[in-house]
Amino acid sequence: MLCCSVNFLFLCFFLQNNTPESIQPISMQTFTSMMNEILNPSTPKSTVSSIFKTLIHSLLHSPESHHSQILKLIADLSSHHPSLAQLALDSLQSMLPQLTDPPSQLTIEYLDALVNISERPVEVDDSLFTSICLAASFPVRLWMVRNSGCRVMVRPELLYPVLMGMTKEPYPCLREEALEALVRLGECAVFEEVSLVKGCYERGVQLLSDNEDCVRISAVRVLYVFQVALWGLMLASFNVDTKTYWSNEVFAMLCSVVRDMNMKVRVEVFNGLGKMEIVSKELLMQSLSKRVLVLDQSPTEQFVLLASNVAGALVHGVEDEFFEVRKSVCQSLRTLTVLSVEFAHAALNLLMDVLNDYKVEVRFQALETMHHMAINHCLELQENYMHKFLDVLEDNSSEVRFSARKIVRLMKLRNHLLFKSTMDVLLKNLDSYPQDEADIFSVLSHLGRNHKQFVDLIANEIADEVEASFEGNREFNSARMAALLVLSISAPFLNADVCPIPPVIFSFAATFLSRICCAFSDVMNRDTLLEYLIQKSSSMVQPEVNISNGEGQNPLAKDDVQNVAGNEMIHSEITINNGEGQLPLSKYNVQNVALEMKPPNDVGQHKRPVHDSVVLTYINYILVKLPNIWPKVQSCSANEVLCSLRHWKEELTSLTFDSSAPADASAFALLYLKIIKLVVEVWDHLVRKTEVVSGTVELEDKLEKLDGRAKELMNRFIGFSAEEEISVLELILLTYTLRLCRSEICSRNFIFKRMTIIYLRTESFLKLRSDVASGFVAELGSLIRESSNGGASCSSLAFDNCLKLFSPKRLMIREGIRHRRAELSIPNNCPDYPLPFAPGLTASIPCDITIHNISSNCRAWVRMCINDGFTQHVYLDLQSFEVSGEVRKISYAVPYYRTPELDSFNLKVCIGLESLFENVTPVQAHGGPKCELVLLCEEKIVYLSRVL
Amino acid sequence: MAIETLVLGAGQEVGKSCVVVNINGKRIMFDCGMHMGVSDHRRYPNFSLISPTGDFDTALSCIIITHLYCINTLFLRFHYFLIIKISHSLILYSYIFFFGIICDSHLDHLGALVYFTEVCGFHGPIYMTYPTKALAPLMLEDYRKVLVERRGEEEQFNSDHIAECMKKVIAVDLRQTIQVDKDLQIRAYYAGHVLGAAMFHAKVGDSEMVYTGDYNMTPDRHLGAAQIDRLRLDLLITESTYGTTIRDSKYAREREFLDAVHKCVSAGGKVLIPTFGLGRAQELCILMDDYWERMNLKVPIYFSAGLTKQANVYYKMLINWTSQKIKDSYPTNNAFDFKNVCKYERSVLDTPGPCVLFASPGMISGGLSLEVFKRWAPFENTLVALPGYCLPGTVGHVLMSKPPKIELDPNTKIDVRCQVHQLAFSPHTDSKGIMDLIKFLSPKHVILVHGEKPKMVSLKEKIHSEMGIPCYHPANNETVSVPSTVYVKAQASDAFMERCLKPNFKLHKCSSQELSIKTLTDKNIVPELQVINEKAVFIVEDKSKKLKVVHNDEVLVMLGEKKTED
Repeated sequence: MLCCSVNFLFLCFFLQNNTPESIQPISMQTFTSMMNEILNPSTPKSTVSSIFKTLIHSLLHSPESHHSQILKLIADLSSHHPSLAQLALDSLQSMLPQLTDPPSQLTIEYLDALVNISERPVEVDDSLFTSICLAASFPVRLWMVRNSGCRVMVRPELLYPVLMGMTKEPYPCLREEALEALVRLGECAVFEEVSLVKGCYERGVQLLSDNEDCVRISAVRVLYVFQVALWGLMLASFNVDTKTYWSNEVFAMLCSVVRDMNMKVRVEVFNGLGKMEIVSKELLMQSLSKRVLVLDQSPTEQFVLLASNVAGALVHGVEDEFFEVRKSVCQSLRTLTVLSVEFAHAALNLLMDVLNDYKVEVRFQALETMHHMAINHCLELQENYMHKFLDVLEDNSSEVRFSARKIVRLMKLRNHLLFKSTMDVLLKNLDSYPQDEADIFSVLSHLGRNHKQFVDLIANEIADEVEASFEGNREFNSARMAALLVLSISAPFLNADVCPIPPVIFSFAATFLSRICCAFSDVMNRDTLLEYLIQKSSSMVQPEVNISNGEGQNPLAKDDVQNVAGNEMIHSEITINNGEGQLPLSKYNVQNVALEMKPPNDVGQHKRPVHDSVVLTYINYILVKLPNIWPKVQSCSANEVLCSLRHWKEELTSLTFDSSAPADASAFALLYLKIIKLVVEVWDHLVRKTEVVSGTVELEDKLEKLDGRAKELMNRFIGFSAEEEISVLELILLTYTLRLCRSEICSRNFIFKRMTIIYLRTESFLKLRSDVASGFVAELGSLIRESSNGGASCSSLAFDNCLKLFSPKRLMIREGIRHRRAELSIPNNCPDYPLPFAPGLTASIPCDITIHNISSNCRAWVRMCINDGFTQHVYLDLQSFEVSGEVRKISYAVPYYRTPELDSFNLKVCIGLESLFENVTPVQAHGGPKCELVLLCEEKIVYLSRVL
Repeated sequence: MAIETLVLGAGQEVGKSCVVVNINGKRIMFDCGMHMGVSDHRRYPNFSLISPTGDFDTALSCIIITHLYCINTLFLRFHYFLIIKISHSLILYSYIFFFGIICDSHLDHLGALVYFTEVCGFHGPIYMTYPTKALAPLMLEDYRKVLVERRGEEEQFNSDHIAECMKKVIAVDLRQTIQVDKDLQIRAYYAGHVLGAAMFHAKVGDSEMVYTGDYNMTPDRHLGAAQIDRLRLDLLITESTYGTTIRDSKYAREREFLDAVHKCVSAGGKVLIPTFGLGRAQELCILMDDYWERMNLKVPIYFSAGLTKQANVYYKMLINWTSQKIKDSYPTNNAFDFKNVCKYERSVLDTPGPCVLFASPGMISGGLSLEVFKRWAPFENTLVALPGYCLPGTVGHVLMSKPPKIELDPNTKIDVRCQVHQLAFSPHTDSKGIMDLIKFLSPKHVILVHGEKPKMVSLKEKIHSEMGIPCYHPANNETVSVPSTVYVKAQASDAFMERCLKPNFKLHKCSSQELSIKTLTDKNIVPELQVINEKAVFIVEDKSKKLKVVHNDEVLVMLGEKKTED
């Protein structure tokens, strides 16, 4: 304390006597005291500012050898007292010009201080920059190159040629820094000319054979950064061939250095390979084989040139001595496997080898890559791999086990034996790693849900074991029991009527509720699970229930679906099915009749009402979750979201139905999910502007698909409630907005027009219900009103902003939704038994057509396409159909007029409905449909063969 | 100037490595091996070609030994010593009964060293790596005993000779630069292959060359891959044992092996792995120890006595020469302190329950491995894993054809119901590895040694056609001469030096009109600024016939002066 005050007194004395007129050099002791005062938070402001003034003055008057210390103090002072920072910046900047001729170490010290004080990059003018870069002193040049483009801002037009020159410096670290600066330049994507990027790329290639390791590392980085830049530029020119050609070149160039003797170079190479966006399949396959491949078809000239460079690159990586390299290879496989399915299958072999690696990091990365492959549908674990894979489940590292189990969740096993061994391994896991219990239960529940048929096969076995244990006839292993129960109760989760699981199992499971509820946390909470269990087990306790009063059988449905019109209707509808067997008749028309038909009191038939309503509940359960996952899409966990969406989709697809109502609802939900999934897939690229892994062509495809799906959603479903209708409309508005976000699209005006129509419709609906529009709709509305001349005037940025406001509505669907669909069959026709035709004469195609939920005032057509693109439409008179409820049937010989002069040909036939919804552009003027057709069924191929 | 390479051994053959290289007047002998299959004068390299007078001390600057031995197979059969030709090399198989260990020295890189130094009388320095120096006397002594005491041959050198020779040896470490004399510099680089193997870089004046010895470009569990810097080489002399083979990933083979073993032990069976002491046993044991660790297996692994103990001691000491994996785990545990290996006692042979046993010798040619085989073979759940090639005449060889019965002698017949698994690996690099090394080093010339002639020819063609590097494959006693780099000394002017210290380009502002006239160094750059490379340097020969490097600005001045003189 004493020392401190002495310092202070000394300093005060110094400051008082050291006026600008009589400046003295600052001694070391003064520096220390100043430092103390600066660091001390309780120093009065006046002292700090006088210290500051003294420092600035002494810069002008003290010898140059002192400057670096003074500058350091100024920088410290500015960081501790930000109020003085601007002043410091201004003073230093004013002094800088005097120091630049010639630039010396001192200039750099000034610049360094400036950069340290300023929070933003410091701008340097051209002359100062060039004079420093051409300075004789090596450290001066090095400082400038190291900081240019990050802490020092220089015009890219100037920076680029200087850096290119620097890459030829004799000093390795200057070459390295110049390359790094080029990388920074490339990452900012300032280049607008292909030749600039190519020039840089070629310099990178030259320096790949540099003698210095550090230069080679940077050269590799230049290569892959510029590959991306090049790609971006070529994207604009839409030249796919050149793009592929260049990507292949870069891939081969990177592969040619995988045997570099420096580990860091190799790691960098594989990091680079992981950033490839297009590589031809042949080259990818070549990278897995050390021998040059003999291709089936004649190889391209490029392949012949590059094959030996690429040969075995990934294999070498996996065999590498350093785990960093092996890990990097596994990481790069994440992207590469997405590029080609065939390659993904072959690369799996390599990954299976990596599962034997001694390093946990590497094994973990390999599994993560496999998981990524599974999400992208390119993981196919064959039986011979399964054995190895199951071994990994017993790994002693917990990360590895968790990661392996993540893959098991997504697995679809082919046969019963594999299922059994997977189950056994998981049960064994439970013994060896009791700490993993929750995760294992959750995996078992997924396993059960994904493989109902296999669980059914062993259901009795499990039931016997569980019962024996509970009754004390066997040793009671509670973890094992809980696991078996999880597996059993998850299987009939959605498929009650085909369930051979004895109801007593559900009662047992209820006793483990708190232990097992986490296994189902992705689909239901603890209370719902309990109700599900009670309901399932109740079929044993109460075999005879009075159906007509609608109570007691279905707590789950009753609880969760508040909006369902009432149990009364559900039951009445089901009684029909019971009474009339499996006839898929519509419930609505014959509802009242059905009520009079008393169903037999039979347990087996009891389950049906439960089942159908559970389906609806389940669908709603899924739909309700959509708003919750949206924040994840907006952040960056698209993969995770996609995974859940895919899972729900699969769940919905696996449902079986006895009546049409839940089937229609499920079809609607499925389509809704598909649209959401596509939206999520394009979201990342369009809204968050991240790199697309799979390329632009696919993005375009996806948008196209999205458009088609949206149309389908509008046209193929009827009977929406107002709330449902608004949700659907909003979703459709979203798909249009997404399309408009892509500025390259030429048909903006057209899309904008269609969007306006939908918007007006939404608006009128909202007015009718006197609801408030969501933020997204409101913003879109104002945008539409503002734009006078169609969408062209709106920037894609404006649409971007709209999109950020979007989040899916909480949607609960009811029974009313009906699916307009058609079934088309052409009897007695297959490639072996073609229909006869005579060229030039009309051919008749016998069709059995059934259409659902389509009223007679709709306009339906049969569309027939031949391979050369010619399409013929035949009008279907719905009045002539045989009507039974909402189903119409007809057997009709459709004429085909334009039979070609061929021995045989194929015709693609399908049923379409004129879409009256958005009649913006008439499709065909004469003869055919007046509006766009929405297809109601899959295209059927009709085989025709000439008779004459 | 030229580099002259005289091949005394391993020219178009495998074994007896010995190459004498003359770089800028310095003669270095790389390796001094002997042929194990021949017992006459052809056993040793023809040293008279180095110096007809026998004055080796002036003729040679030094000897460099790249490594000790080739791990290879060994053969024992009822106490006979056999010399058998396997594919390309003649190998001596011996069995030292008293020590209980099998010596598998294959001294084709150092066998003739003692003879050359002590009998022929070379007194210059000998360089080898630390592990090689440590193991060399043991191996040489072993070999001498086999030769003299068992085969009854005439003694070429005695134990004292070995000791004397070892005194002349200077041990070097990896990447340590040694100044042999004023002009000659050598440096060792890691070569994989066997413990202590190294590639040697030699530099005399401006000429540089690398002699690889045997090396491996793919790491295995206990040894790493070869590592070398990018150098400016005039000559690369490389081995070419597997000049035409491309090996697939060894992971698949390892995986099958582990699967087979795991399946066997989890079914309660016993696994017998007959191996020899060095290299392969360590490799397999590390592989299995890892697997045991990862899978939490508790099945015991046994080593039969003496087999690897001595070898493991050396490995434990020389961790720095092993693979990255072992170095990584060294701070926590020495990989050669195998965690899952239990102490072997004879009683384990009859103890029920699963186990894994490493027993010597390999190929089930006698000793413990044959004894264990007799006991275990009749059981279906036993697995015999044969790591490597088995010679005809051994039980291992017969076993590969999976016969129902093996007749050892008229009185002993063994019912074979066990499963058999084969696992093969080699510590030599394959042709892709050789190509990759050449590509990385990009030397001006390549000489192939240590390989069979047809393979060398095909590899030579490949190197020439793919990389355009001239390549040679001399036979024994032939000399190849390749030109070497010579830098000419020239005086540099001050102005030139000054320019050199600055970046050698300048920014040039030019108008668009100028632009079309000027030759652009780089067309890519923005018109208003040009980078002009100032590479123009003139070399002038002044009056005293000395070379001088000047900057192009000076040339004009000098020319002007000349004009006025004229």
